[in-house]
Amino acid sequence: MEVSHHVPAVLYLFALIAVVIFIYNLRRFLAIRIGKSDPDYKIKIIPAIFNLFYFGILQRRVFRKSFSYASIMHFFIGFGFFILLFATTVDFFVARGWFVSYLPHLDTPWFALLNDTGGMMALIGILMALFRRHINKPKSLPQDAFKGRGNLFGDSGVLLYILLLIFGGFLSEAARLAVDVQSSIAQYSWVGYRISFLFSSETWSALEPYLWWSHALLSFLAIAFLPNTKIFHAIISTINIALTDRDLRGKVKPMFVSKLMEDPDMDVDEISLGSTKLEDFTWKQLLDSIACTECGRCTNVCPAYNTDKPLSPMKIITDIRHELYGKYLNKKEVNGIVGNPITETELWSCTTCGACMEECPVLINHIPTFTDMRRYLVLSEGKPHPQAAESLEKTMNTGNPWGFSKSERTKWAKDAGIELPLMSEKKEADVLYWVGCAGSYDPRNQKVAKAMVKILEAANIDYAVLGNEESCTGDSARRLGEEYLFETMALQNIETLNKYKFNRIITPCPHCFHTIGNEYGDFDGNYKVQHHSQFIMELIDSGKLKLNKYLDSKITYHDACYLGRHNGEYQAPRKVISSVLKNGKLIEMERNKANSFCCGGGGGNMWYDIEDGERINSVRFQEAIDTGVDIVATACSFCTIMMDDALKVKGKEDSMQVLDIAEMVATAL
Amino acid sequence: MKIGVLVKQVASGESPLRIDTSGKWVVEESIDFTTNESDSYALEEALQIIERSGGAGEVVVISMCPAERTPKIIREALAKGGHRAIHIQEEAPYETDPFMVASIFAEALKDESFDLILSGLQSDDLGSGQTGVILGELLGMSTATLVMGVELQKGKLRVKRELESGWFQWVTLPFPACITIQSGLNQPRYPSLKGIMGAKKKEIKSIAKSDVKGSGTPMQEFSRMYTHKAEKRTEMIEGSTDQIVDRMIDIFKKNIKVI
Repeated sequence: MEVSHHVPAVLYLFALIAVVIFIYNLRRFLAIRIGKSDPDYKIKIIPAIFNLFYFGILQRRVFRKSFSYASIMHFFIGFGFFILLFATTVDFFVARGWFVSYLPHLDTPWFALLNDTGGMMALIGILMALFRRHINKPKSLPQDAFKGRGNLFGDSGVLLYILLLIFGGFLSEAARLAVDVQSSIAQYSWVGYRISFLFSSETWSALEPYLWWSHALLSFLAIAFLPNTKIFHAIISTINIALTDRDLRGKVKPMFVSKLMEDPDMDVDEISLGSTKLEDFTWKQLLDSIACTECGRCTNVCPAYNTDKPLSPMKIITDIRHELYGKYLNKKEVNGIVGNPITETELWSCTTCGACMEECPVLINHIPTFTDMRRYLVLSEGKPHPQAAESLEKTMNTGNPWGFSKSERTKWAKDAGIELPLMSEKKEADVLYWVGCAGSYDPRNQKVAKAMVKILEAANIDYAVLGNEESCTGDSARRLGEEYLFETMALQNIETLNKYKFNRIITPCPHCFHTIGNEYGDFDGNYKVQHHSQFIMELIDSGKLKLNKYLDSKITYHDACYLGRHNGEYQAPRKVISSVLKNGKLIEMERNKANSFCCGGGGGNMWYDIEDGERINSVRFQEAIDTGVDIVATACSFCTIMMDDALKVKGKEDSMQVLDIAEMVATAL
Repeated sequence: MKIGVLVKQVASGESPLRIDTSGKWVVEESIDFTTNESDSYALEEALQIIERSGGAGEVVVISMCPAERTPKIIREALAKGGHRAIHIQEEAPYETDPFMVASIFAEALKDESFDLILSGLQSDDLGSGQTGVILGELLGMSTATLVMGVELQKGKLRVKRELESGWFQWVTLPFPACITIQSGLNQPRYPSLKGIMGAKKKEIKSIAKSDVKGSGTPMQEFSRMYTHKAEKRTEMIEGSTDQIVDRMIDIFKKNIKVI
């Protein structure tokens, strides 16, 4: 597609001007300096290079759902432009006379073929993108295609501009081929060659300088203003991807509140708790916001968004960018962004299910950023969701969010005539069975707790429970931004756990599993924690549990977010279910494993209702109904409650059942 | 405006209640203590009155309870925005006569010269609902009970009182006034961490109950405490249809008292 080798010197002057403007416009990148430093962040070279190639250049996450319209579209645009970039670079070298003996010439057959193919790919991709923005438009994309969210020309303006560049490129190539090149060679430039038949070579000859110059100048203009447009993502998102520490992704940062409170020099009025001002976010959180490409994939999979709640993860991330650019480029005064433009209800609508983060092609870290803003609401303003406030107060007073008495934590066992071995008496055991608040107080989950005891006894495990010494892990409190309460619970539990000797903790609740296993470490509570699915699977594999395969029903498994997406455990619960199936069959719902749809109970949402739209659990349960199963298997206390509620709302009590995997295993003993 | 708010620590609704050996109190070990519900609303109303009048004034949190367990609710009230606190420390046996409780408060608070004293309508444990009103009378303040809304007027206080059957009554009171607050008139705030941190530096004045010379003598005595008993009783009714119906009506009227 590229043209002459007789490049006039003045072109380089224009190129230089374009580059200067480009660099000037690039200064928006420096806006991330407004953010605070992140002492936990250290750049890791090898993973950064891996990320750069795998998630950046190869765009692995773009192709997550392999053959979706958007991924094919992006493949054509992205790789079309990689080819054009390569071709232009080679041509520049050739024109300068550098490495000429090693490089192909514009009319080298394979190079010509590749070059035109790249242009054609980009053209198809751009047309697909325009179609998607104006004819077959998903509702998560910015509503005004020509404005976007603060990008110059919006999405469609840029697409049309690129279209102009591609046409210009092909036309000037056609002119060059018509005027200078023999058709036996020119035919390899398969697009330009065909266009060259449109006019006589005299006409092409007259047009050539105009076509060439206009294409060159339009290209320079595109380069100069690239950082102001959506295409900036090709640079900034790639940088963000490289700099993302995937080990820290999704990790909520500890605030060490108790240390803060002991600090005698601490000034309550000055200290910032949580994030609302741009200065409260880390530079990486701000970089995330700049890196957002507004593809809408996060929003498309968000359970809150899909049930008409006022949350779009993309909107929140781009709100941050909008305010950041406003402050940095236009000197706008930004005091705080929680409240306006990011509303409290948006923040409370998040179930922290992690679907957005799983989907994001540029590795944005949504949940910790949302949690920081919730922290601002709770810790600085004292404004948790009013219904959540009640369960937080109960947790503070009684050590469980239901508000039942601390002294009745093992009543479920006593009432069932079970004598639980207590850590306070045994002091030492192989397995510490963490019952959790749901297992202790919620009637539905008490059945799971009893099933667990039956399993532990059947496998002859040396185990004990903490009994009244056990307390809420603080999961809901932490997701809700109540870091003080979380830390209070965590420190108290760690102190209790450290009194005893055990090899591992097992728990049927993925929230307890995640919190103790992944988060207590920050407070020197390091334990080996297993989810009951993993534990039971081990018992089956090692032959300690002999199961009678009894289930003849059709069954589906609902993935718990904090077991699946947050901890990557998809297989254990499925294997456990398979081990009790006789003639029954495990059928997957449409959204499963990493693409699973939340039950609506995570992120503290268990304790309050966002009034808008449909209930998340109803939508999920309908999916199970549509799968035509008799049993919905769960492996999470909250999922069990939410699915069981939905079962009743849908009036399926007589035809369907919600069962925790432990209940099925206990039946198979 | 200087406002005093009475807060009491009571057993939370879900606490298991067992009578102790004296037969006059419950076993405290198994109880989770919390702030009396209507007192939380009273505190919130006090904080909102100060906020409505531009932040000028003071909210003083006042509580009488054993030394070891009250500070938690006092600190919580200070974290929510109370400016300082007065803690009257008592020892078992706890004061249960509302007149005596009010007399002790009156004696301890007489030099504070509050413009307004708020308390919850009644405590969730003993529920006599009298302490606030008696305190007002002892301190020579105007009083109102069952308050559902508070409006400040020039030198006066206009309150909305809850009557029976969904009726309300507006009453205007001169200052100083002592009113008891019904739950539900506002949304009590959640203590922010900033508030909790700030509360550490706020003053809690402790006074031993024995140092306060309460006026008067107890007017009632607490003789015994019971827990409710669940009981199943079956009576087989025999006879003609009329006799059965008569007997059933009789039981509904006299025994179960549902008609």
